[in-house]
Amino acid sequence: MSELLTELTDSTRSVLDSLGPGTAEETIWTQVVDLGWLLAGVPESLDGLGLGPAAVCVIQQELGRSLSAARYPAATLVIDALVAAGESPLLERLPLLLTEALATAPLVPPDIEISDDGRLSGTVRAVWSVDRASDILVWTNSDVLLVPTSAGALKARPTWDETRRLFDITFTDVNIDSGWRLAQGAAAETLVCRIETLRDFLLAADAIGGATAALESTVNYLTERKQFGRPLALFQALKHRCADLKAHIAAAEALFADTLNQAESGFGQPQAALLAREAKLLATAAYTEAAEEAVQLHGGIGMTAEHPCHLYLKRAQLNEHLGRRRVSDELELATCQFS
Amino acid sequence: MSEQLRTEVRSWLENNVPAGWREAMTGCDQDAFVAAQRDWFFKLVEAGYATPHWPERWPGGGRSLAEQKIIYEEVARADAPRLILYFVALYHAACTLMECGSADQQQRFLPGILKGDVWCQGFSEPNAGSDLASLRTRAERRGDVYVINGQKTWSTMAQYADRCLLLARTSSDGRPQAGITYFLMDMRSKGVSVRPISQITGDDEFAEIFLDDVEIPVEDRVGEEGQGWAVAQATLASERGLTLVELTQRMRHSLGRIGEVMRARGCADDPVLRAAFGRLIPQVHAACALADGYLQKRISGEEVVGDASIVKLYYARTLREFVRLGQQISGLDGQTMEEFTRGGSQETGNWAVDFMNSYNWSIAGGSDEIQRNIIAERMLQMPREPRDWRWQKGA
Ligand SMILES: Cc1cc2nc3c(=O)[nH]c(=O)nc-3n(C[C@H](O)[C@H](O)[C@H](O)COP(=O)(O)OP(=O)(O)OC[C@H]3O[C@@H](n4cnc5c(N)ncnc54)[C@H](O)[C@@H]3O)c2cc1C
Repeated sequence: MSELLTELTDSTRSVLDSLGPGTAEETIWTQVVDLGWLLAGVPESLDGLGLGPAAVCVIQQELGRSLSAARYPAATLVIDALVAAGESPLLERLPLLLTEALATAPLVPPDIEISDDGRLSGTVRAVWSVDRASDILVWTNSDVLLVPTSAGALKARPTWDETRRLFDITFTDVNIDSGWRLAQGAAAETLVCRIETLRDFLLAADAIGGATAALESTVNYLTERKQFGRPLALFQALKHRCADLKAHIAAAEALFADTLNQAESGFGQPQAALLAREAKLLATAAYTEAAEEAVQLHGGIGMTAEHPCHLYLKRAQLNEHLGRRRVSDELELATCQFS
Repeated sequence: MSEQLRTEVRSWLENNVPAGWREAMTGCDQDAFVAAQRDWFFKLVEAGYATPHWPERWPGGGRSLAEQKIIYEEVARADAPRLILYFVALYHAACTLMECGSADQQQRFLPGILKGDVWCQGFSEPNAGSDLASLRTRAERRGDVYVINGQKTWSTMAQYADRCLLLARTSSDGRPQAGITYFLMDMRSKGVSVRPISQITGDDEFAEIFLDDVEIPVEDRVGEEGQGWAVAQATLASERGLTLVELTQRMRHSLGRIGEVMRARGCADDPVLRAAFGRLIPQVHAACALADGYLQKRISGEEVVGDASIVKLYYARTLREFVRLGQQISGLDGQTMEEFTRGGSQETGNWAVDFMNSYNWSIAGGSDEIQRNIIAERMLQMPREPRDWRWQKGA
């Protein structure tokens, strides 16, 4: 990791550590905005920091580590799409988005259709904090739109992961205003690819952060907790379990860094989306494994609501289902090998 | 003969399993659950199906092993509610009393179980989980009573219990196991307080028990002073035979639920999910076969050390795979926080909750790791971990 990114990791972590676990969404969001974390990926020409997707992911990794409620990935997807779409009247809204980020995006592909006469219908699932957003980013294969949330009907999607507030929003025959359009046709295809690539990398980053924290907490617990007159960490069987987790997480991290590096030059290309999907698959699998093991290795206390183990478990399990399409990701990756 | 019993049980269940109990028990509070469990318990007791494993002189008792199995298979097939509230009473308490209790204790407590006394198990403590022998709750003899001070934890349904199977220390001399004594404690005694613990499912099905100068009459001690460890082994063994037959049978019948969900979600043709389903099926059938085989061995006296551990470990692992697949096939919608069903099997179809509850079987009653130790050290005769150790943090 470059020195810059290491510094970013450290400073992000120290902010989050000082806020402590379970910080309320709006409190943490004020920090995200005030500290300029939304600027990380924005080019310098647009008054951003120009640090690219790697920096955005570093921030999300730390937010994931602290099980943060901040809708950073959702807001970042909108900002990135606006910037990538280039010159459009919508770009004028960027400064506002960067200071308040009143826009959000879904974490799974939207299930929407646009009719020939330009009407939008369908349900967009798993949208982070859409109740607090003015606009939502939605897409089909040939259109990318920033739609006012007032055009749709909201329904809460309460999940077991209480660290994130998700909603579904349904549009019924909504007349599309041309001012909502970010891209169309071939340009939209590229932009969609870019959105989904960044989303999957952000989910991978969240998973790596969470997995690392779950493992750390387990190692600490096993070191402190005594049974049979010795710390549990003295049992080799348990050390090996932690070592396996460490290796799994390290592999996920290595793949993440490598795929991100390969993808960075061509973020709108289908190849980049596949790379991101690989990174996401391995990272979310490492997260669920680390979280599942955390509960098991904590014993009875891991099954209590007051201990944070279950927060990792629930967030990890939800992550496995975010970013998924109808066809299994695994199947699609394998299929690519035959084409 | 056995076919006749099967027909009899099947038709009884058809007429008696409360219609729509799953719906009624979904999202209900614990008091409604307790009331429903009571009704179902009394029905089963009356029909003689709650106690097939009890000796012949008790109502419903004296069933052969084959007959007991038939009853459990049918109960599983009918998807009847599980008697969770009475689990400790019917198995742990009853088996302990029959194996180690005095004639007087059997006469005093077993009829109460049939009348609906709820029992809980007070073994674990905050610092004595896997290492149960290190427990510190103290029992001091004063005349005709023992005076108990200490704390128990993770005690399932303790907040509803009338009585508790309690382990306490009467001596600190010698091996830690040697100073443990076994008691039958009245939960309404002065000095007993119970605090339910909130679980990761949002339920509070286990509780802490605080014991402050609680008096237990000497006649409620099981076995002699210092023999509690051996008695506790009888208690723990009771949940390993028939219970696992019931649970594995229920798991087998729940395989259909996976198919149903896949069809309902339109993913029945997904080759990835189908293959995962295919991998699970032989494991579930193997778990049933292991549980059946183990029960046979126990009855015929051929059980060897480690057998029980294999059954429990394999069941716990298979259950985890089962609920993992359930979550996988139910997709994003399966992550929705939905109200859960009380008194169902381990596979209620609310897969997120089923997943969380699957830890009951990999942690409680001797964790997977402890079962592995038993298999490795006592069955495979591999050496134990060294007794001496030295370690300094940071060194
Ligand atoms: C749902 C549930 C219901 C329960 N109900 C009851 C009840 O009704 N009554 C009651 O008395 N107790 C009950 N228990 C307690 C249960 O028996 C203990 O949780 C169990 O014995 C583990 O103890 P612990 O939680 O202290 O974990 P610990 O013993 O602290 O173990 C932590 C981790 O270390 C591992 N470990 C421990 N020792 C070793 C070793 N030597 N080698 C390798 N790994 C090891 C464990 O497997 C576990 O993964 C219940 C527990 C649960 C989860």
